[in-house]
Amino acid sequence: MTTLPDRNGHASALDVEGLGVRLGGHEILRDVTFDVTAGSWVCAIGPNGAGKTTLLHAVAGLVPFQGRVGLWGRELGAYPRRERARLVALVTQQPVIPEGVTVHDYVLLGRTPHLGMLGTERRSDLAAVERALQRLDLVWAAERRLDTLSGGELQRVVLARALAQEAPLLLLDEPTTGLDLGHQVRVLELVDELRREHGLTVLSTMHDLTLAGRFADRFALLSQGRLVSKGSRADVLDAAVIAEHFGASVRVIGDGDIGWAVVPVSERGGS
Amino acid sequence: MIHRLIGGAAAVLLLASCGEATIPQGPSTEEPSSTAPFPVTIEAANGEVTIAQRPRRIVSLSPTSTEMLFAIGAGDQVEAVDDQSNHPSDAPVTDLSGFEPNVEAIASYGPDLVVYSTEPGDLDSALDGLGIPALQQPAAAVLHDVYEQLEELGVATGNVSEAEVVVDRMRAEIRSIAASIEPPSEPVTYYHELDDTYYSVTSSTFIGQLYSLVGLRNIADEAKGAGGGYPQLSAEYIVDADPDLIFLADTKCCGQSPRTVARRPGWARIAAVENGGVIPLDDDVASRWGPRVVDYLRRIAEAVADVLEAKAA
Amino acid sequence: MSRRTRAIALGVAVLLVSIVVGLLVGPVHISPGAALRWLISFGDQPSGMSEQQAAILANLRLPRVIVAGLVGASLSASGAAYQAVFRNPLADPYLLGAAAGAGLGATIAVAFGPSSAFAITVPLAAFIGAVAGVGMAYGLGRSSLGGRSATSLILGGIAVASFLTAVQTFIQQQNAETLRQVYSWILGRLGTTGWDDARVALPSVMVAVATLWLVRRLLDVIEVGDLEAESLGLNVGRLRLVVVVAASLATAAAVSVAGLIGFVGIIVPHTVRLLAGSSYRQVLPLSVLFGAAFLILVDVVARTAVAPAEIPIGVITAFVGAPFFVLALRRGGRRVA
Repeated sequence: MTTLPDRNGHASALDVEGLGVRLGGHEILRDVTFDVTAGSWVCAIGPNGAGKTTLLHAVAGLVPFQGRVGLWGRELGAYPRRERARLVALVTQQPVIPEGVTVHDYVLLGRTPHLGMLGTERRSDLAAVERALQRLDLVWAAERRLDTLSGGELQRVVLARALAQEAPLLLLDEPTTGLDLGHQVRVLELVDELRREHGLTVLSTMHDLTLAGRFADRFALLSQGRLVSKGSRADVLDAAVIAEHFGASVRVIGDGDIGWAVVPVSERGGS
Repeated sequence: MIHRLIGGAAAVLLLASCGEATIPQGPSTEEPSSTAPFPVTIEAANGEVTIAQRPRRIVSLSPTSTEMLFAIGAGDQVEAVDDQSNHPSDAPVTDLSGFEPNVEAIASYGPDLVVYSTEPGDLDSALDGLGIPALQQPAAAVLHDVYEQLEELGVATGNVSEAEVVVDRMRAEIRSIAASIEPPSEPVTYYHELDDTYYSVTSSTFIGQLYSLVGLRNIADEAKGAGGGYPQLSAEYIVDADPDLIFLADTKCCGQSPRTVARRPGWARIAAVENGGVIPLDDDVASRWGPRVVDYLRRIAEAVADVLEAKAA
Repeated sequence: MSRRTRAIALGVAVLLVSIVVGLLVGPVHISPGAALRWLISFGDQPSGMSEQQAAILANLRLPRVIVAGLVGASLSASGAAYQAVFRNPLADPYLLGAAAGAGLGATIAVAFGPSSAFAITVPLAAFIGAVAGVGMAYGLGRSSLGGRSATSLILGGIAVASFLTAVQTFIQQQNAETLRQVYSWILGRLGTTGWDDARVALPSVMVAVATLWLVRRLLDVIEVGDLEAESLGLNVGRLRLVVVVAASLATAAAVSVAGLIGFVGIIVPHTVRLLAGSSYRQVLPLSVLFGAAFLILVDVVARTAVAPAEIPIGVITAFVGAPFFVLALRRGGRRVA
């Protein structure tokens, strides 16, 4: 598995400058600027409708945008489609699960950017699939049909496909959707392990601020399409900032025996 | 007194020639003696039809009826004919449709008699409502029907003796044509084609009977589904049956000709194709049952004679 | 040998068997032994067979079997490919106005063309009409708000089909004598098939079906939706265009020689999926092979069940097809969103 932490000598895997996106006549994102250091995990947070998903789609080159998006110092638009897909893997919020397809074949789809238009998979591709299945503990499920798996298992399958893509930049849109608490933590821990093992760069969106705070390195707070705050956990996940943009009262519990957490506080008093 | 005698003689003549008309009770008219006195009441296919006076403005919606009318000398009594009535050429063709008749359009010609063959559903009652006598002459099932319809038209139009003459002449000609063919030891086989998907007729149909008159044997008779009279044959069946004659009644509708038939896959070795026995017919002549049936029969007989001659040689 | 390869080998075997059955069975009885000897000797007339029978085999049955196979393969492959790129289990080859365009073309040829040239003008007009219909639907879909998305193309197809059908109905009403001819063409028939039809259909069908066969892996990719497929590096719009062009070519060729035979594009791919799984890597090739075999066998029924009359082949596929629609609806409903 190749890693590209310093491609073209750039420490930034992703470099976003003045990004704007208009969809259906509405301005979804406006003047967003931030960068993601290679190997780090940046989490985009913000209230509903802030444009987090659109941000990921723009970085993946799936929607037209104004401004600049750079991958390892090179313009996103300059990458041919397949090459871009070898660098950026996107896990959507609600992945389409085609029924009747086996886990193995679904994960194999992740190798698409590595195959020519009419090519078929080679041994190296099958090996990549094997590795992804092993890493996500899915070897037992290889011949199972997708519609026979549970939610947690499906999430691992989707992640396995992204892993098989062997892309150094991983975009995760709400990776904990629909999972119970135990699975939520397991998935994020897995992503973290993979990140360290393979030097992956991760840009995710999450609505659960506690989990976000525990796993990501840096944060970007989006509100109504604008980037209103970015930086470390202490800077962005601050009770005042959260109150201002989420309209919710919280207490941020720092290190202690229960660890860091963001806890909503009832307006009417009491905890 | 003389008038009554003449009227009575005419009535007897009438009874002798077609047993369908009832003797009129009204006073005889000043018309020549060949005219049956009006009003007449006819037991037609669509029930009782009463015609008050000798019609002068007839509308015909059936090409066969048109031919019959002109043949019995009622041509100058015809005001308008439908768009398919292309024979004789001096018939007053209009846009009227015999398949989808427009009652108002028909009425606009001011007819005193309407003759039609297919009843789309409400033509008869509509015309009745307008007080226009309508006479239905459906497709003939047997040759006898042709004569009956001619005579019926003769009564309806006041041309009884002319109709008689036509019928007698037809009978005589058909008899002589049939007699001209010597039945061979092995019957000559034929296939009559209605369209280019190989729909055919059996010998129980009107046209099939004509063929039987000259001793032809129909390859469609043994086909399954021949019960309806109009079976569809498959190309294989026709090729295997190897008919001596092929009659094409689809030259106009479907562009078939001896050339196109010869080009059909597998057909080139059929006896009819090899020996020039593919006979193109006028679609119209083959689908009507009027006086030209005689010409049709003559054409068939010629073809049979040719085949028999070739076989004897 | 992997499961997939075994399934394809089975498909080839079934196709060969159906070809033999198609040659041996027909309204005219030809002894199977003689027929097989004829086949092996490449058309020399063996003893025990009349000249007529040899002519039937060579000029009627053999081209008919070939054309039935080509048409079955075209419609099945096109149906499977459309089901993939439109992600709709009910998509069939006539989806984007191909049927309506072909019907209108045939009607125009019958109503206004010289009847002596029908054998040439009708198939040609049907072909042009089918291609034009799809072109209009594609253009209309593309210019709409959804661009080249699956939904906007389908809606374009519906609009175009409705319009063309209306024009066809109008022309037929004005020219009532064309009704029967056009109707019999619409029902689909192979009764007048000969080597000319085989020659006409073969090149288009081979090119089109080969194209669809080659892109079968990409059809799997597009199954996960336009967005995810794009993220995997697939040019979704281009793939959809390639499939539409190839499938339309195959369908237009099939329609021009055999009329409108329905349901094949639904029955065969769904049966194949039921038996062999959903990956287009096997669904596409198996649809081609089993589609050809299916239509050859259906044609045998069409020409023997009420021999010597022929049942229009579209009637039989409709009978068989109705239950398949129900099946497809039920399976489609279980898809996880």
